[in-house]
Amino acid sequence: MTRFRHFALIMTCTLVLTGCVTESPRRNAANGAGRRQTEADRGAIAGAERERVLFDYRLGVAALRRGDDAEAKARFDDAIARIGGIITNDADAARARSLFSAESTKTFIGEPYERVMAYVYRGILYWRDGQPDNARACFRSAQVIDSDPDKEHYEADYVLLDYLEGLASAKLGADGSDAFERAARHASPNTPLSPYNPQANVLVFAEYGYGPRKYAGGEHGEQLRFYTDESPTRSARLVLDGGKKVVPLPAYDDLGFQASTRGGRVMDHILGNKAHFKSGASMAGDVALVGSVIASDQARRRDRQGKNDNDAERTAIGLGVLGVLSKVASAATHTQADIRQWDNLPQRLSFAALKLPPGSYPGRLEFLDRDGAVLERRTQRVTINVPADDRDTVVFLSELKP
Amino acid sequence: MNQTSRLLLAGLAASTAILAGCATDAGVRNPSGVPVTEMRPDERGFVAGTGIESQDLVSVTDRMARSILGIAEISRAQARPYVVLEPVVNNTRFPINKDIFLTRIRTQLNSKAAGRVSFLDREMMRTLERERSLKQSGQVTASSDPNVVEFRGADFFLTGKLDGMTTRTSAGTSDYVLYSFRLTNARTSEIVWEDSAEIKKQGLEDAAYR
Repeated sequence: MTRFRHFALIMTCTLVLTGCVTESPRRNAANGAGRRQTEADRGAIAGAERERVLFDYRLGVAALRRGDDAEAKARFDDAIARIGGIITNDADAARARSLFSAESTKTFIGEPYERVMAYVYRGILYWRDGQPDNARACFRSAQVIDSDPDKEHYEADYVLLDYLEGLASAKLGADGSDAFERAARHASPNTPLSPYNPQANVLVFAEYGYGPRKYAGGEHGEQLRFYTDESPTRSARLVLDGGKKVVPLPAYDDLGFQASTRGGRVMDHILGNKAHFKSGASMAGDVALVGSVIASDQARRRDRQGKNDNDAERTAIGLGVLGVLSKVASAATHTQADIRQWDNLPQRLSFAALKLPPGSYPGRLEFLDRDGAVLERRTQRVTINVPADDRDTVVFLSELKP
Repeated sequence: MNQTSRLLLAGLAASTAILAGCATDAGVRNPSGVPVTEMRPDERGFVAGTGIESQDLVSVTDRMARSILGIAEISRAQARPYVVLEPVVNNTRFPINKDIFLTRIRTQLNSKAAGRVSFLDREMMRTLERERSLKQSGQVTASSDPNVVEFRGADFFLTGKLDGMTTRTSAGTSDYVLYSFRLTNARTSEIVWEDSAEIKKQGLEDAAYR
């Protein structure tokens, strides 16, 4: 009888653990074309759709850096169509909140600093197309994303978002002074902002350094954290007209700072609960398994004494099953924070506006280290072509490769 | 209580603790978010909303087209008035295709006004001028004297402006957009017609994105 119960316990555990096996979604990837869509195919499509915005981000900025504006616009428009809405009743999001699915099962839209940059890049492209009001709309949306709703007041602190909003307003004949004041309030004393010049017809956007990286911290990887490898490039300058005209491009915004200072997410609370459950379930499993061993030992002792103790045997089995179930539940709980990331972002953002008559202006973009020395190997040749029309010339300069 | 019962009780307590921990959303309000709902501008909402969508475009432009047709300068004009569209100014936080508003108003008016108003195609001016100079130089044929200016001047300019206001709190995001359009007399600079529409939306995203 005792042997039968032990067999039943083993069978139960086996069944439970068998349930943990999941089908690999890539199993049928090599099958021929024209076949019926399998469950794995649907999973792969859903997975690609979940990360569509991430690819839009990466490909969009790469296109912008290599001068393919049409591709960049298409990518950022596609991303903004998704991140610009309000996601509710989403099955993937509900799954991400559940115990047994990772946060990364939700549709990726990125952390605020990533969403902000999608709007910044799209704003640059709108301005280049002669639509400063739509560019300003992008900068305003980025400000809203950067604001912290938990603080119940406006907390956006990007210098350039405010500055560019005000500049666009000034160029459209409106009052940009409020926005300028907000920008000046957030700007470092080392990088004072130039007053608006509505006559400036060349707008230079520059970016340098490598952006923040995400990693999962905490006992169970439930905490989303950021780190930034400090780039040697601390500043930049544009040298035109054989060195006669030098345009400073200091770092007004730092994405590493923005990523790490935004405050907690509601999802952090959910992941914290998941981690709490994981630890609790594991501990309960330990207790139950120890209890099972004790009960089993007692049953065996009484058996040796010639006494039949069915209660102890039943308890040993019950606690054993409970312990195994708890351990399995703990192991199946996904607590990892979502660390999918826009990995070709810059660290620092800069801007300058200048007035140049129509013509072609060859020059060089120099990157400077902490001491203000030129990092010669990073210097880039640039040419600014200013057309004769009344549209602003928007120049985008990046230290990062496309 | 014997030892067996105590162990069983401990097991039950442990399982209760496990099940209690299953509630990962504990302490999170509206974990599934609140769907975006359209509200009357004068209605007090639970928070705020989202961007300019196709239904807004349709409702706003329908209303503006109806409104324009009702004014005396159009409905009782002695001669058919000529209107030029000027780009809409976007003061909201939503990047939009600005031309689409005026394009839809124009198509609505053209389809419903039964010839009571005409629009001048200033977007084509560069092409039209090039064509005229080709005719003047004799490079292409002309059905009338190309040296006579036949490009019409505007009687009215139709333009618009989109203004917005955003609120974002822990309860959600709210956006109010005011769509205003006006018709200006090209000769006197008098605004002969002006109308507006307001739309307010609000919503709260899923907790997984907050």
